[in-house]
Amino acid sequence: MIDVLSYGLIVSGIIFWFWGTLPLLGERSVLFKLHSLSVSDTLGSMSIVVGLLLKIPSEWPLLVLALISLAIWNTVLGYVLAYCSSTGGDDV
Amino acid sequence: MIGYLDLVLRLVIWFLLTADFSPANIIIGVCVALMLPRNRTLTAALKDWLHVLWEILVAIPQAYFEAVEIMLRPHAKEDIVMEHVKPNRTPGLIFLDIYLISFTHKTIVLKYHENGLYEVHRVRRRRRAKQGKPAAVKRINS
Repeated sequence: MIDVLSYGLIVSGIIFWFWGTLPLLGERSVLFKLHSLSVSDTLGSMSIVVGLLLKIPSEWPLLVLALISLAIWNTVLGYVLAYCSSTGGDDV
Repeated sequence: MIGYLDLVLRLVIWFLLTADFSPANIIIGVCVALMLPRNRTLTAALKDWLHVLWEILVAIPQAYFEAVEIMLRPHAKEDIVMEHVKPNRTPGLIFLDIYLISFTHKTIVLKYHENGLYEVHRVRRRRRAKQGKPAAVKRINS
């Protein structure tokens, strides 16, 4: 049961990753790409780590730390990129 | 009051990092947490902090929900909205506010203006009446 759940979370995380990364090749604005990339990075990685947490609970301190760092780092980096993209000119 | 929260955050990170509850490690952790420089000048109400932290917890399932929503239905429209900063926010709380807005996937903060406005970029399905109280709306090509 735990196995099914953890593999399900890992697979859904990988789906999030691919879905968020593919729009990078599209024709949308930089900010739209940033939106979808933050979906893939934050949520995909978080569900993969939660899946790992179910599989190897003995490593929980490291994995929880990874979860916290992912949530903070990805979001703040997204904000920084958005900020940089908006000050460069009017081509957004 | 915020000094305690600061200390607790450092200790939590320390113990997660080391995963060791031996007395020596606890002493080292407390020493490190106390020795790191602290910002004493800014204090905000504990209530505000707890409120924002709670909102961040609530935002996680909401972020997943929005992600699935964007996956299933195309969000073709984009716009930029100015949002007002709540009064009496310290820089720490403003950071958390920006974090909260950027964490959910339909919105991302572009810029924080010193005069109390966030510039927020949003994706949406179609144009309609604005939610909240935007001061000005500027459409960009999508």
